[in-house]
Amino acid sequence: MNVSSPVSLYVHIPFCSRRCRYCAFASEPMDLHDPKPVIDALIQEAARYDLGSTIQTIYIGGGSPTSLPEKLLFGLIEYLAYICYDVSEFTVEANPGQVNEPILKSLYSLGVNRLSIGVQSFNWKELELLGRQHTAVDVAKSVYAARTVGFTNISLDLISAIPESGIKDFEHSLLCATDLDVEHISVYSLSYEDGTSMKEMLDSGRIQAVDEETDRAMYEMAIEVLEQAGLRQYEISNFAVPGLECAHNLTYWANRSWIGVGPSAASWYQGKRTVNVADVRDYVRRIQEGNDPTLEVQNPTLLERACETAVLNLRRRVGIDLSEFQQQTGFDALNLFAESIQNHVSNGFLEITDKSVRLTCKALPIADQILCDFSTL
Amino acid sequence: MGTEHIRNFSIVAHIDHGKSTLADRLLDLTGAVDEREKMDQLLDSMDIERERGITIKASAVTMYHEFQGIRYMLNLIDTPGHVDFHYEVSRALAACEGALLVVDASQGVEAQTVANAYLAVETHNEILPVINKVDLPAAQPDLVAEEIEHIFGISKNHCFQISAKSGLGVADLLEGIITLLPPPKDRSIEPTAALIFDSHCDEYRGVICYVRVFAGSLRTRTKIRLMGSGRTYMVTELGKFMPEMTPVAELGCGEVGYVIANIRQLADVTIGDTITEDSRPAVKALPGYQPPMQMVFSDFYPGNNTDYPKLRAAFEKLTLNDASFSFTPQSSPALGFGFRCGFLGLLHMEIIQERLERENDIDVVQTAPTVSYEVVTTDGVARRIDSPSELPDRTKIEELWEPFVRLEILTGTDTIGGIMKLAEQRRCQMIKTDYLGPTRVMFEYKAPLAEIVYDFYDQLKGISHGYATMDYEFIGFEASDLVKIDILVNKQPVDALSLIIHRSVAETRGRRVLVRLRQAIPRHQFDVPLQVAVGGKIIARETIKAYRKDVTAKLYGGDVTRKMKVLKKQKEGKKRMKSIGQVQIPQEAFMSILDSSDN
Repeated sequence: MNVSSPVSLYVHIPFCSRRCRYCAFASEPMDLHDPKPVIDALIQEAARYDLGSTIQTIYIGGGSPTSLPEKLLFGLIEYLAYICYDVSEFTVEANPGQVNEPILKSLYSLGVNRLSIGVQSFNWKELELLGRQHTAVDVAKSVYAARTVGFTNISLDLISAIPESGIKDFEHSLLCATDLDVEHISVYSLSYEDGTSMKEMLDSGRIQAVDEETDRAMYEMAIEVLEQAGLRQYEISNFAVPGLECAHNLTYWANRSWIGVGPSAASWYQGKRTVNVADVRDYVRRIQEGNDPTLEVQNPTLLERACETAVLNLRRRVGIDLSEFQQQTGFDALNLFAESIQNHVSNGFLEITDKSVRLTCKALPIADQILCDFSTL
Repeated sequence: MGTEHIRNFSIVAHIDHGKSTLADRLLDLTGAVDEREKMDQLLDSMDIERERGITIKASAVTMYHEFQGIRYMLNLIDTPGHVDFHYEVSRALAACEGALLVVDASQGVEAQTVANAYLAVETHNEILPVINKVDLPAAQPDLVAEEIEHIFGISKNHCFQISAKSGLGVADLLEGIITLLPPPKDRSIEPTAALIFDSHCDEYRGVICYVRVFAGSLRTRTKIRLMGSGRTYMVTELGKFMPEMTPVAELGCGEVGYVIANIRQLADVTIGDTITEDSRPAVKALPGYQPPMQMVFSDFYPGNNTDYPKLRAAFEKLTLNDASFSFTPQSSPALGFGFRCGFLGLLHMEIIQERLERENDIDVVQTAPTVSYEVVTTDGVARRIDSPSELPDRTKIEELWEPFVRLEILTGTDTIGGIMKLAEQRRCQMIKTDYLGPTRVMFEYKAPLAEIVYDFYDQLKGISHGYATMDYEFIGFEASDLVKIDILVNKQPVDALSLIIHRSVAETRGRRVLVRLRQAIPRHQFDVPLQVAVGGKIIARETIKAYRKDVTAKLYGGDVTRKMKVLKKQKEGKKRMKSIGQVQIPQEAFMSILDSSDN
């Protein structure tokens, strides 16, 4: 297979030591599987592409990559670093409590230059409700260890609107996160995905979702606190020291091509959106037998691509770059979405500059209300 | 064939009492349809009719049957089963000498049966009572026969007991049609007079008129005149429905068939009009002619303003085969350009609405149906208005008149209380109560049409556990103490949400409308105040709170396809809404203002 344009590579590790209550990603408890054939399959799948010359970012996520036996994880990273020789950003998701200085040191020496640490909260009650296995102290230890071995680009994930927590609880998490002086923070309002035990608890009334007003207040607080700490909001849920925005995720929001390998991983390249089978055994079998692991294939039309690009671009604070959009889709965004743009400019949710269209601050908490108007023509 | 060997008859029945099945059985018995061609329920030809189990347009079929060595021509004229098509039913009945009154053996007489039977009597039809479905386990033919005797004064011993489905008793009934129904009068030597009792439009042949010849005869290649419009046409084809169209050279006195005469538009032909020969015209037209009378009005606006020409084209197409529906351009300050449409009744409106959406791909926003009013202004001038927005300033109104109907309700005695309460809430005045037997009762009310036009029937069904039936007939306009309720959305008055209602309930209803609207209008990105004004004074306010949080937190590569779907759906939801200022008002909101229930 020949690939000319994909710029990013995502690798999905389908294992966790235990599933968190809110998580709907494809992952299985480690003890049910021998991970070796799965990692071998991942490597085989990656080998089917000619990745070397174009891949600029790699992101190993999951699941929990750090729940893998060290040897397997290092082997995988070594292989990827070997075949992709022009990578500027190499991220691995790390769980606090699963990494220590020696492991981090190995990762760093293998070429990983960015860590994304799944913190979620600094309140033990919230961590317990979410089903997380680490403590706030584990987070601090992981960050210090990463600094010690040389990491200069660390990201933390936080979850807001956790049931039964108030605005003060969330503020505590935010302040703890900024105290650690990291380069990047993502803040996600808790969503209740079908099939998760969190959703089940909500439906059965055992927990109550945070009310809309509090949810919004938390979001606005995140923007304020993080900006004050020098982390500039560059996407609806993402904040970074200027210059250290996550290049990998920016590929998604620019709607540029990427390749995903592993069970349930999605790809977007050569004009096709594909998704791999989620079942780990099925995935491994298909790869071993030399078959295609993809389950769904979609070929968006040019107009659909333009709509996808607009929706994704608008999530960035820089919004739609008009000339980039024109170049990429062949359409003039101001023309194509004239009615929606005019509407939302007049109600103050969009602003047009000489080279872009972007959401205003007041549009951010209700962005889907605006984005939906760009989803089709 | 002399008129003494012709029988013209119709079947009147409540929905689902087996009219179409009986028609099929008669066609079988007379050999008019062979097995191969037979489709169930031949007479109903439009899709919607089949789906709803009702007959919208009348049609006719000619059968031949030999009895005691003589060949008889039997013309069955089908009638629409619904109250909205009262006038059409009356014309179809006027074309006959006899009517089969079909009653379900387990359901008994229903309000519609009564209304149609009265119409049959008014149009001088001989009635043959027929109790159908006697083979069903729940059948109580004797009880039903007693009801028939009680209501119509026809001896219970004269009822035919049949099962149209199995064919039981149908041969006897066929014999009864010949022996008991009168033949048409022989007026063959008089100048031609034929009644148009129905018509439809054929794409290639123009208008096809369904006629009954009362006097003289019709021949091809003669010049005919429509006495109502005065227009003349050349007859290009005459024929009978056998049941497929079969050309004949002449339709003689007493016969039923069709006329094709190069008539382009359905609107050029009025049901009830008389066809005569241009060179030797009848002295006077056949009695009973009326222009179709629309009683229910509603505005249709295209969801997207650019669809206006498309909507107009769609309405034009619809009037081609439904002349009783009307549309006139209308522009509303709040809703833009659309059409005010007139219907015979509520069912008629639903049918048009359904055909509009089925046959044309247009998103339509429809306002709540209203009735016509007559307004007398202070300068003494009276005029008809069919929309609250046409109401003059209240200082200029001397009197407001609203349409009243005679309403018949048949129900079980165990639900009398609930139904009387409902009638009282809807300003109905009791005319009389009639016990049809120990368990059944018939109410007759004088009711304001506006009160029963919307959800009255649903409520009636609810109260009576689906048992009660109703029918109504327009009686006239009368003065009432009416006021207009205005609704302001985001401080802007929305004419399409205005209502004319009785002063005594104006305030409670006004408040209720606000609650309904608050539920029906989705949240926006800003607070939307709703206000209600009665007689120009604001009496209540509600607020639709703004969206405070609506954003997908995580959207990375693998989420794109799924998220795009969700966003598209979110946008789709906005489509059937009308923007007024910055506020999107969904279709349900316009209808919700008429919902007068408590919760």
